[in-house]
Amino acid sequence: MHNRASLGLAILIMVLAGWGTLGALAWPWKAKLFPLVIGIPLFCLAAAEALWTLFGRQPERQGASDFQLSTDQAPQIARRRTLVAAAWTVGFFILIVLLGFQIAVPVLVFAYLKLQGKEGWLFTIVFTAAVWGFFYGLFDLLLHLPFPPGVLLEWLG
Amino acid sequence: MIDALLQGLFLVLQWKAFAFMLLGIGVGFWVGLLPGLGGATTLALMLPFIYNMQPVEAFAFLLGMHSVVATTGDVTSILFGVPGEATTAAIILDGHAMAKKGEAGRALGAALASSLIGALIGAAALALAIPIVRPLVLTFGSPELFMLAIVGLAFIASLSAQGARGMLRGFLAGGLGLFLAMIGQDPQAGVARFTLDTLYLWQGLDLVPVLVGLFALPEIIDLVVRGTSIAGNVRAGRISRGALEGVKDVFRHWWLTVRCALIGTFVGITPGLGGAVAQWMAYGHATQSARSPEERQRFGQGDVRGVLGPGAACNSKEGGALIPTIAFGVPGSTSMAILLGGFFLLGLVPGPDMLTKHLTVTFSLVWTIVLANIITVGVCFLLLNRLTALTAVPGHLLVPVILVLVFIGSYTTNSSYADILVTLVFGAVGYFMVVAGWPRAPLVLGLVLGKIAENYLYISVARYDAAWLTRPVVLVLLAVAIGVILYPGFQAWRSRARKAAHA
Repeated sequence: MHNRASLGLAILIMVLAGWGTLGALAWPWKAKLFPLVIGIPLFCLAAAEALWTLFGRQPERQGASDFQLSTDQAPQIARRRTLVAAAWTVGFFILIVLLGFQIAVPVLVFAYLKLQGKEGWLFTIVFTAAVWGFFYGLFDLLLHLPFPPGVLLEWLG
Repeated sequence: MIDALLQGLFLVLQWKAFAFMLLGIGVGFWVGLLPGLGGATTLALMLPFIYNMQPVEAFAFLLGMHSVVATTGDVTSILFGVPGEATTAAIILDGHAMAKKGEAGRALGAALASSLIGALIGAAALALAIPIVRPLVLTFGSPELFMLAIVGLAFIASLSAQGARGMLRGFLAGGLGLFLAMIGQDPQAGVARFTLDTLYLWQGLDLVPVLVGLFALPEIIDLVVRGTSIAGNVRAGRISRGALEGVKDVFRHWWLTVRCALIGTFVGITPGLGGAVAQWMAYGHATQSARSPEERQRFGQGDVRGVLGPGAACNSKEGGALIPTIAFGVPGSTSMAILLGGFFLLGLVPGPDMLTKHLTVTFSLVWTIVLANIITVGVCFLLLNRLTALTAVPGHLLVPVILVLVFIGSYTTNSSYADILVTLVFGAVGYFMVVAGWPRAPLVLGLVLGKIAENYLYISVARYDAAWLTRPVVLVLLAVAIGVILYPGFQAWRSRARKAAHA
């Protein structure tokens, strides 16, 4: 999995660097100096990584000084839960765009606790109210951050 | 001088100034804890309130608020893996890993103690350096500042992964960061670069949505996959003892803490580099302190040195950044530029006057940094048990709350849904980088340094052609960059040679 991910990232960077370098050629030198200085070596390094992944000696996992994903779940469970997490995240974004933060926040918290957390009704309602109260009190009442009502609500008038 | 120093302390301890400082600390405490709400933004929001204040009261309020933001930002970064501030992302790598191992108390203790030491060193540097710093800063022109950016990138790219392959990936991530920094209108010719014909990208990618996506979303996904609390099934043990252990770690690695604080101070002094750079350079230096490649492999898995370095640098940079702001009117960072606005609002002109006529006010700034950090660290230690208990809260309660904070933090950058989209895209990039074993730190540093580096490169080439490459300080910095790149290889060779000798 990590080799496929690495190859994918390398190809993505190759495409970005190639596109950026070619695009920069048409610009005045002031604007293209840095894109060329960065783009060309970046393309070469990404190509080296891609070739290394494809044809290199026994590819082994090189540990980066960075956070590592947990490995204590079976791969198929981990895959399924990853998709579930991604769906909740993207779903929350869609909710925000459609309904606005004011409604999307309590809907997400309520739905997550009930569907994902399997919490009881009373706890779910109290917890949702607390999170919404914190959100509304701090960001809306105190800081006056502008939160638009959402596309769907605007459309409905 | 001593008289002015003491008078500065007495000014801050006057009840009104002290009360304003406490108010500022209170605001800064929460701003630091909440992801996305930046210290600079809050500083700008608070600026209108200082009109009717005396200079000492106003700076006690503003600086008291600003100088504690990084400290409490560390708390969010360590406990939840979400950067409380853009300047506290580096501490996630080892701090959050420690929290997941049930060592949240130790990580917080180390972060708070190193933050305090860093703040004190930064304040001391501010007090001592004002008369001598002018020639140092003035020797650095655009070529030297460009090379300094390259050294920073070389540091983090070569040290954040293992072996030649790891280094290649580090440089790729750094290069990607530099490339992403080019998005938007170019500062010299005004050409819209890589904007995909969207108005949003004309101003470039903002750091907060990128950081939040890159670091927070992979952690949230992992929390869902594990189905446990942040600390998992590991018992946190006695928090206070863990915190004390963290404080002891500062003294065990005393010189590392001091060196990282000095790195932070120096980056703070250097105009344009800013706190986001200081933490990563300090993290790179902390990684370099590992004596063998095996020891270095522990970084990112919960090595306390990875907490001490960024913790110290993040707070020491404030004192450093104040030096050029006060002495020359050249702000070292965005926050300092806003603070500079505060000087003018109060009728003070940065420059020689601040070192002669208003020397007591200048020293009151030093004392504000010292007192604000002591008070904040004290309060954090008192609340440690409650803060650390959050790592034992079941994941399904934390996930929706963190998601809300992540999305709000991202959205408030420009009040645009596109910010959240950027967070989602970089969440995916961050996730695949973690899966592939690529370091994320160089990408962030590349993004932070990109605009600065481009600007300095352009000025260097326009002003000196290729001759900028032959300037003495440039050559020294080039040698340092090459040394930094070759050092891990040398270290691996020495380790192999030692093993062969023992065999």
